[in-house]
Amino acid sequence: MTVDVSTIYLLDVATGESVEAELRDAIEQAQLDDWQTKWQPALLAVLQDLARKGVPMLQWPQSWHWNWAQKTARVQGLLAFRGFSVVARGETQGLAQVDLTKASREPSQVGKPLVYLDYLEVAPWNRPEFGAAPRLRGVGSALITAAASLSLDEGFKGRLGLHSLPQADAFYRKIGMTDLGQDPAYQNLRYFEMTVEQARAFLEEE
Amino acid sequence: MTAKRTMTLNLTDAEMRVLDELSVRKDITKTAVLRQALRLYQTIDARVEKGEKLLFENEATKEKAELMLL
Repeated sequence: MTVDVSTIYLLDVATGESVEAELRDAIEQAQLDDWQTKWQPALLAVLQDLARKGVPMLQWPQSWHWNWAQKTARVQGLLAFRGFSVVARGETQGLAQVDLTKASREPSQVGKPLVYLDYLEVAPWNRPEFGAAPRLRGVGSALITAAASLSLDEGFKGRLGLHSLPQADAFYRKIGMTDLGQDPAYQNLRYFEMTVEQARAFLEEE
Repeated sequence: MTAKRTMTLNLTDAEMRVLDELSVRKDITKTAVLRQALRLYQTIDARVEKGEKLLFENEATKEKAELMLL
């Protein structure tokens, strides 16, 4: 499989300088190795710190149990699922997996195909909610931009849907997605959708 | 964007009518309809091959019907 690689720019939070990064339209073994050998120890340190401070598990990062090796293996070879990764400074900075078989729920586009963002996770050292200042900013936005661009390429006109982990609700509202409320069929997570117009505005801004 | 190849497709009038209708109703091109159909077919086939069943449930009555793929 040929992997498309495009150049994007992230922000180094400490210096304020822009950092060149690769947006890759796949999740390859190198990314899974980074997840295993770099993300997991960093995440474990955060979880141990939270446990030591007595922070209830409900307030822990909600993606702490995600296993990217399993997620990737489950959809290996299936056309309906695609992966994206952001790589900078020789390390994987973010991962996303999308599903192209889902349909829209938002009333103006109900039943029309969209790109459904199944999973999106940013490396633990880039997450501001973990206490320390994030190293790089813009990884999550880059992955959402990739998903919205895929929606355009596939003829879905930018339509995008996702279930948000509570810690990310505000972010999806901020980028202009419509909040369709809690979904009892999906662990009561809030379901967000980007309409054609919202996608156009979002992609113009990015 | 991944490179694509072109092929000629021969469809009956009835098939072309369905393709046209789906293209309008789903707001995607005819090519996108066919690519979507291929994805769905592959996904369903892979799950059926693993021993899973494809079931449709009527939301109101909760009645379930199995779709047999031969």
